[in-house]
Amino acid sequence: MIELRGVTKSYGSIDAVKDVSFSVSEGEILGFLGPNGAGKTTTMKMITCYMPPTKGEIFVDGMNVLEQSMDVRRKIGYLPEQTPLYEDMGVLEYLDFVADVRQIAKEKRSAAMERVIHECGLEKVIQRDINELSKGFRQRVGLAQAILHDPEILILDEPTTGLDPNQIIEIRNLIRKLGEKKTVIFSTHIMQEVQATSDRVLIINRGEIAAQGTPDELQASVEGQQNIQLVIKNAAKPDVESILGGMDDVTLHKLHATRNGNTEAEITVSGGRDLREELFDLAVRNDWKLLQLTPSRLSLEDVFIQLTNEEVPK
Amino acid sequence: MNAVLAIYKKEMKTYFNSPIAFIVIGSFLVITSWLFFDFGDYPFFAIGVADIRGLFDYGSIVLLFIAPAVSMRLIAEEKHHDTLELLVTMPVTDFQIIFGKYLSTLVVFALILAGTLVTPFTIGFIGDLDGGIVLSSYIGFFLLGATYLAMGLATSAFTKNQIIAYIMGLIIISIFFLMNGMVSGSGFMGTLLENLSIRFHYQNFFRGIVDSRDVLYFLSLITVSLAISAAALSSRKYR
Repeated sequence: MIELRGVTKSYGSIDAVKDVSFSVSEGEILGFLGPNGAGKTTTMKMITCYMPPTKGEIFVDGMNVLEQSMDVRRKIGYLPEQTPLYEDMGVLEYLDFVADVRQIAKEKRSAAMERVIHECGLEKVIQRDINELSKGFRQRVGLAQAILHDPEILILDEPTTGLDPNQIIEIRNLIRKLGEKKTVIFSTHIMQEVQATSDRVLIINRGEIAAQGTPDELQASVEGQQNIQLVIKNAAKPDVESILGGMDDVTLHKLHATRNGNTEAEITVSGGRDLREELFDLAVRNDWKLLQLTPSRLSLEDVFIQLTNEEVPK
Repeated sequence: MNAVLAIYKKEMKTYFNSPIAFIVIGSFLVITSWLFFDFGDYPFFAIGVADIRGLFDYGSIVLLFIAPAVSMRLIAEEKHHDTLELLVTMPVTDFQIIFGKYLSTLVVFALILAGTLVTPFTIGFIGDLDGGIVLSSYIGFFLLGATYLAMGLATSAFTKNQIIAYIMGLIIISIFFLMNGMVSGSGFMGTLLENLSIRFHYQNFFRGIVDSRDVLYFLSLITVSLAISAAALSSRKYR
């Protein structure tokens, strides 16, 4: 349904998105995950015909976004980040305006309005002005405009940002419900959100795809890996960095000296090795005092952190 | 409904749901009428001649300040609130967006023109007013306003700050308005600037002359300004 082939978007000398290729099948819900500034929004803007790629091609239902832009736009419902709405309009007035611009025929309009008002739960606020709405209802109005023309594809840029926990659950449920009939791409920087909502996850970092697969596949990719948090007394930070960083199968993620003179480190051990004894011996040899050694299995959240955090340079 | 009309309708609501249109129309009519009837060395009542040239002469100056105020919000506000992103990703071309917005400003301006009709009717009632000159002056004034608004719209498309859009609009329109006075003499530069000047082309309409060259000049400025606005909207390459 959606296909990106070698897409790059550059702003001057900076590549916001670098040679990205992926595809989304019909009816799939794709969670687009990445830290802020990773390139999620830029990628979505290119798919929705807001900005052209510098290099590469994007196809929506077999149509090139540059060549058949108007047809592509008719197929897509888009909710940009921050939900931009016309503050001086009423909810009904705004949806009517969107229906006008999207040229929804008069005979189909009232049914379309009723459908989105019901699906997005806007009954209570339909006569209110947009500037009077809570963040949650604003988000619902944003979603309503995106699905008013009953598009085959929905692209939602961080639809739950800034909402309270109840509102987040409501919007997630709504996305899941919409995803039963439509192809959905939604971006977030919260791993639990993708786990709860999507069929497939695509992790993007610094403009490049860091990983993709179903949540189960991503979890399986880190089976046999272990995270260990260490708090060491009597150890200089550079020594810890060089010793831990030089160990086989060990990746050092975090390292910092605390105010009380301790050094905190977080490492990931791969290959299914149990490193606890080795770490204990290492501490003895170097005259470190091991205040804490906490091993834990890697969660999907850790996968995300691992893929998107910078490794401590060795 | 056509997308142009949808955008036009939305803009009209914005103008008339707030005091913007009323302030703009009211300010223009009050200031221009005051200048025409009671200002300068030759106020209308002191001269005692049935001539409305002063109305359009002063009007062209007042409109210089009013037109960018009408057009400054058109794109800058959409950019500021990020609503432009949503609008341009709907199945509507950049030119449809620009034209719908421009159309709304023309209607606001037409209401200003309608408000000024009281003056020629009153003067025509008490004196002998040349209907041909009145008609050509109105044609010229409409073209002048339409040009100012198109230029103001173009500056609005380049910024998300309405104040900047207003100031840039005022500066650019003023330069075009006063261009004929920038170089003295009748050399190449003098002739060139005179022919590019709004004031030069506008003056013929007061004499009752609707010269196709003047009309073409204003229509060209409008077309170029609208094309620049559409190009600046997002610099996109979509078809």
